[in-house]
Amino acid sequence: MPDGRKMTCEDCGTEMNLHAEKVDWGTDSHAGEPFDEELGGVVEEFHTCPDCGTTEARVVL
Amino acid sequence: MAASRPLFIPVILGTVRQGRLSEHAARFVHQEVSKRPGVETELIDIRELDLPATDEGNPVKDPRLTASVARADALILVVPEYNHGYPGSLKHALDSNLKEYIHKAVGICGVSAGPFGGTRAIENLLPVMRELGLVTIFWDVNFSSVHKVFDQAGQLADQSYVRRVDKFLKELIWMAKVLRHGRENVSLED
Repeated sequence: MPDGRKMTCEDCGTEMNLHAEKVDWGTDSHAGEPFDEELGGVVEEFHTCPDCGTTEARVVL
Repeated sequence: MAASRPLFIPVILGTVRQGRLSEHAARFVHQEVSKRPGVETELIDIRELDLPATDEGNPVKDPRLTASVARADALILVVPEYNHGYPGSLKHALDSNLKEYIHKAVGICGVSAGPFGGTRAIENLLPVMRELGLVTIFWDVNFSSVHKVFDQAGQLADQSYVRRVDKFLKELIWMAKVLRHGRENVSLED
């Protein structure tokens, strides 16, 4: 589940919009990061800035 | 303001093969995109990227490709069909990014020497596009018998492709606008 915390755009300081999540099934790209047992992988969420269009990803904790 | 930002739609030439006729197709499509008001573009030739063959995925990112894809609202892939599939070099390049693609539009132009215009390469690419988070349009451009579509100098010989690309771009631009609005304003949690 998304943690509900908004991200702030590092480029322009605007509050970003959470628009996608993805389970990463790989075992090598997220070593040591939180593994979601129910979904079977590390969950990433994707946020885009409504002002400048920058997209950032982060792992759901 | 976000509303005044032009769309950015790069064209990716998806083969490194010597003598590729797909380059004519990519240059023509790029030229047509360049004519669109409110749209910026560039031609990305994967032959010019620094993508080592000793690893795969994020570790082989080319900073130029990543920056262009990150800025993009949509992508256009110009893809020849090799042995009923798409070039491995294109897959190698595409796999080097991920977050940069999420919820962006993609349109595919197939190229072949035969009559099917890269249809099989396009069909094989569709599940890859989905897994990368790209959203496909359902208008393709099929450059069939490509040696007849362009002359020896690479100039368009079959003018029907002007209209075909126009239709393709109309849908792609529509999808790019819709998805930009969604990425920037429609929350997953609403």
